Amino acid sequence: MDHSQLAQHASTAGALFASIFLVATSTMQTMIPLRLFSILTNLVLIATAIPSHNYLVIPVQLAMLVLNSYRLHQMLQLVRDVKRSVGGDLSMEWLKPFMTERKCAAGEMLFYKDEKAEDMLYIVSGRFRLVESGIELPVGAIVGELGMLSPSNVRTQSLECIEGGVILSVSYDQVEQLYVQNPAFGFYFLKLASARLFQNLDTLERRLAQQTAQVAEARIA
Amino acid sequence: MSEDGIVSSLKYLFADFLDEEDSTPPSLPEGLPEGVAPIVSEGIHVLMDYQGASYARLYVERLQRFVDKGIAPATLGEMARLMTSRMAYEDAIRIAQLKLFEYRDSEGRMASREDKKFRFDELVDALPEIAADPILTVLDKIGWSHRRVSIPFSTKSRLGIRRLKIEAWLRRWRMFSIRYGEERRWVERWLHMIARSLVKQPAATAAVVDTATMVQGFGDAYRQGLADWHTVIDSLVKPTFDGVLTLADLAGAIAEARAAAMPDPRQASLKRAIAQIRARVTAPGASAAAE
Repeated sequence: MDHSQLAQHASTAGALFASIFLVATSTMQTMIPLRLFSILTNLVLIATAIPSHNYLVIPVQLAMLVLNSYRLHQMLQLVRDVKRSVGGDLSMEWLKPFMTERKCAAGEMLFYKDEKAEDMLYIVSGRFRLVESGIELPVGAIVGELGMLSPSNVRTQSLECIEGGVILSVSYDQVEQLYVQNPAFGFYFLKLASARLFQNLDTLERRLAQQTAQVAEARIA
Repeated sequence: MSEDGIVSSLKYLFADFLDEEDSTPPSLPEGLPEGVAPIVSEGIHVLMDYQGASYARLYVERLQRFVDKGIAPATLGEMARLMTSRMAYEDAIRIAQLKLFEYRDSEGRMASREDKKFRFDELVDALPEIAADPILTVLDKIGWSHRRVSIPFSTKSRLGIRRLKIEAWLRRWRMFSIRYGEERRWVERWLHMIARSLVKQPAATAAVVDTATMVQGFGDAYRQGLADWHTVIDSLVKPTFDGVLTLADLAGAIAEARAAAMPDPRQASLKRAIAQIRARVTAPGASAAAE
């Protein structure tokens, strides 16, 4: 068997493998396996293009390989970070790569009480205050993460910028897309949201107990 | 495989390009006082034409917040009417829609042409943010963002009607536009002021509701009205609700300031009137006189 015959066989076998991977890719229902099979298809097509001297295919498949690898890396990192967050400080910093930056001036109202909520916000810098309760939110705080899961979908307080700063925002639609594309993310996101809800309940219970104790003390006095 | 399943999947795939699937108008808010229902019904109808069912639902949800909150039925009706006109704000898409409605309602007999002047940034603001941002940057760099351009809206020729239809079709992306974000923030601020008025100065609620008439149309008139509205709210209404300014007759003060507003970008006369109102209440003895 001479060199050209070998190359022809290799190219036929490669095309067969690439077709199998392509069919497998199209049967995937979620993002991570879909990206994995796309990467395999890209690699096989590159390997096949070399012996058959089909050099035009190589840059196209290389570009797709880089893109697929980057997206896969993003997804895996997202799942890892959400999972870590559930077991740790319940932070939502992992959402930062998916958020868009916005500058806020002092006095600007970011949203009003009873307004329909459509996005969650992450405070990067500056000072922000929940108007009705007077609570000042620290840098790194997330606002509106539970609104996405609440049936009424409305803001419970107004948020005012009291000292110019930067916020990051992500729409509920975008988070929903991540949720649908990636079941592992969805699962850990639900766990995280529930944990934050229970944490809020716990804080409220403690505050209520404190207030009840104070009222009782006042009555005795 | 059911055909309905395939069709609905395709509709979902091309949702951004097709009309909204749900064309059922929302129900009227519960507990609406007598006499207000026809106004709200009309509002729903207008907003269904303007944007679609989900936008009309947003209108109903916004109104629902004020039903049974102690607002007078007449004021609630006026609020519903003004909210309809603000939510159906005038942009190039709206003007194209209105022109087409006029042509359709007259069964093709009323063919006309109107030329409207827009600023470049005003036209670009109607595009989705992702497309508008780079265009605005370029326009700013070459100094063209405030340059005016005359746009014809004509139903006199088949080509004109076709162009209007294409413009009206762009409503699918209206909700992603910069202008929509600004309008949404404006409506929410107005509603917030009405809600605060109901608690802090119920007698001034009708006047606060009526301030929405300051913001109308498009182009220079719209920008002037918007700037005047913010000045009145920031200098009189908000400080009164915050307790910084003691205005016993907020409705009167709003009326006085509005009467002084002129079509002047520097707002000299409006600012002077506001300064006089504020000086009156902060003058020594003013609070004693008010009591």
